[in-house]
Amino acid sequence: MSPHETSPREDGLPQDPQDMKLMIHALVDGELDAAAALAVERRMAADPELAAEHARLVALRGAVANLPRPSVSDDFLARIAAIAEVKDAGDTVAVQPATAEPQQQQGNVIAMRPRAARWFNSFDWRQMAASIALTAVLASGATQWLTTADNGSDSFAVAVANGHRRSLLAATPVDIVSSDRHTVKPWLDGRIGVSPAAPDMAKDGYALLGGRVEVIGDRPMPALVYRHHEHLITLVAAPRQNEAKSMPVADDLSAGGFLLVHWTDDAFSYWAISDAERPALDDFVARFRAAIIANPAAGSPG
Amino acid sequence: MAGAPDGGTVLSEKMLATRFAEVVLPHLGDALSLARWLTVNQADAEDVVQEACLKAYAGIAGFAGGNPRAWLLTIVRNASYTWMARNRPRSVVAVGDLADLDDVSPPPDSDADSPEAALIAKANSAAVEAAIARLPQAFRETVVLRDINGLSYREIAAMLGVPQGTVMSRLARARGLLMTELGGRHEPA
Repeated sequence: MSPHETSPREDGLPQDPQDMKLMIHALVDGELDAAAALAVERRMAADPELAAEHARLVALRGAVANLPRPSVSDDFLARIAAIAEVKDAGDTVAVQPATAEPQQQQGNVIAMRPRAARWFNSFDWRQMAASIALTAVLASGATQWLTTADNGSDSFAVAVANGHRRSLLAATPVDIVSSDRHTVKPWLDGRIGVSPAAPDMAKDGYALLGGRVEVIGDRPMPALVYRHHEHLITLVAAPRQNEAKSMPVADDLSAGGFLLVHWTDDAFSYWAISDAERPALDDFVARFRAAIIANPAAGSPG
Repeated sequence: MAGAPDGGTVLSEKMLATRFAEVVLPHLGDALSLARWLTVNQADAEDVVQEACLKAYAGIAGFAGGNPRAWLLTIVRNASYTWMARNRPRSVVAVGDLADLDDVSPPPDSDADSPEAALIAKANSAAVEAAIARLPQAFRETVVLRDINGLSYREIAAMLGVPQGTVMSRLARARGLLMTELGGRHEPA
């Protein structure tokens, strides 16, 4: 089907020389069907000028095709990919009035760029270092690690770090997206029968993103994910058993390149992990503990 | 997720994000190319494409199949002109002269010597880029959409909102100017 049919002759091609040139372009552009292409090629064979035009066009297309293309930098790709992810969180907030200011969520649209990086294998996860993931693990059955040798505690910390790193690389750091603890807690309860307090501390700068289940040493345990400014904060934790040693004073650790804070409160043993600055992590822990004390009912296991 | 009140919302949000990843992200290079040629600035191109992608995400639910590249590039084109109207009001004036451009008589026929094609083929990238950058806006966007972004006449016509014949004549005019410049021919009087 010739796209430009004026005064067709036997071969169906235009008589006007300028229109005929358009047919040459169309041929070069692959816009002609087989019949029209054949007709144009016959015309070209009979008309050196058309053939020359064709040769110039092919040369020009080659020259343009060889132009360097702008490269899509990892950073830019991450910024764009973040649009979908952040909107994801923002929209969830919008339907959940219990959450913090939507404005703050909106403001994070651009700043959230490192999170999206996990969509792409080529992206170095270290570039996501701006994300703080604070993960509090409540390990019901992990008493072996918590109560015995020190290196037991170390291996637990490593497992927490590995889970944290995996979450940064996964499509989403949470299994249940919600900034509402009344959604997160029942979900965790339904899944594994235990849930920690999940205060949304958006007013303090730590917005609850949601929760997920971590499996550490055969034991599923609840994890919460918070966001601090443009950083992700993830927090993992475990219900304490009787023999678990109390650790009321937060203990600063590190594992797998991340900073951790470990402490116990009542029924839970918490592990907070992030690649944030130590002061930010400590501040989160202090505020989290204060929030639980202010509302202890929210912290009961199960 | 069973029974979670917002389970459906989460799922559809995830679907939208997945679609965004499938429809938009693979074509960012094309989007940057187009924005770079329309705004003639690499740094601006990223800003423009980012704005376009925000719009694309907002409208991703309305993407009804077809060529995702053409869909995205349509948004990028609009974003480019919006951006230029905001940041460089003076440079968009040329758009008002479209009718004139389309009426311009075609370039005189050249003598059919083949060395010209060789000259064009050997033109270095800087010369080709400079020649494209000097094209009138309407010609430039048409030739970029066709030869750099690889859209079909039909897709370009739909994007620009002009008949396919207009796309063809603009393309021929644009290429004629490029060939004249790169082929070392004398500028037609």
